[in-house]
Amino acid sequence: MLFLITGGSGSGKSEYAEQMVLKLQKTPRLYIATMYPFDEECHQRIKRHRCMRAEKGFDTLECYTGLKDADVSGYGTVLLECMSNLTANELYQEGGAKEQCAEAILEGVRRVQAQCGHLLIVTNEIFSDGMVYEEETRNYQRHLGRINRQLAAMADVVVEVVCSIPVVHKGNPEDVR
Amino acid sequence: MMLVTGGCFQGKTQYACKTFGVSEEEAADGAVCPMEELYQTKLLYHFHEYIQRMMKAGQEFSMERLKEENPKVILVTNELGCGVVPVDQFDRAYREKTGRICCQIAREAVQVHRVVCGIGTVIKDG
Repeated sequence: MLFLITGGSGSGKSEYAEQMVLKLQKTPRLYIATMYPFDEECHQRIKRHRCMRAEKGFDTLECYTGLKDADVSGYGTVLLECMSNLTANELYQEGGAKEQCAEAILEGVRRVQAQCGHLLIVTNEIFSDGMVYEEETRNYQRHLGRINRQLAAMADVVVEVVCSIPVVHKGNPEDVR
Repeated sequence: MMLVTGGCFQGKTQYACKTFGVSEEEAADGAVCPMEELYQTKLLYHFHEYIQRMMKAGQEFSMERLKEENPKVILVTNELGCGVVPVDQFDRAYREKTGRICCQIAREAVQVHRVVCGIGTVIKDG
């Protein structure tokens, strides 16, 4: 089962995703972390997420690029967070898939999903601030937008989190076991 | 407590006033009103700007105080956070803070409405 969770920054989407993982009760649980710790602010964010996950029984796999090589065999539920970071890493990091980032990521998602029970992916809404950015940033938005659309097409359930409230766009989260 | 959220220029305040039977004259503008208004008014709009003013003044938001002094307040806020990560550090902190406070408000709120093109959808009821 593929479950896509989207929402803006600070919307409570991570908390929702983690609660959903706990509800599914398919263990063992793996968290695929994609945020590359560039600076102190990243460290703080990572720390906050680690605290939220503590006691929830997750193993952690750090994956900045090359999702298709991730070995997740034997895991009941995998939570990948966050697609916006993974996309930026593939696009900008050395050894990333660059302009082929969407293909590389979607291939990775298919491989991961084939190995585990449930796959939950957290992504990000970065499309609605009405600002016009330079081409480099627009290119990033274009790639992530395309990835989000393809993931939503593949997903069984798509939920947008607004002020911590799930707004269902596809499927029914209650049906997922 | 009620929360109305949505993008800018979606008619949120008008929708909120109409839906909850509050005249626009009675409503407080979070961008300019005295800070104490939050604990007295029936309806406060531009709540995100109110949060920004609190941050600039070095004040912390207290859910306990709001619940105690103005538990029936209607708050109208912009839905921030659906854009590219801002370059400016204060902007990042502001959008993060607004998001977290609105999650807190939504948890306490009896209803949460989301307004798109002037049309409200109740996304939480009870």
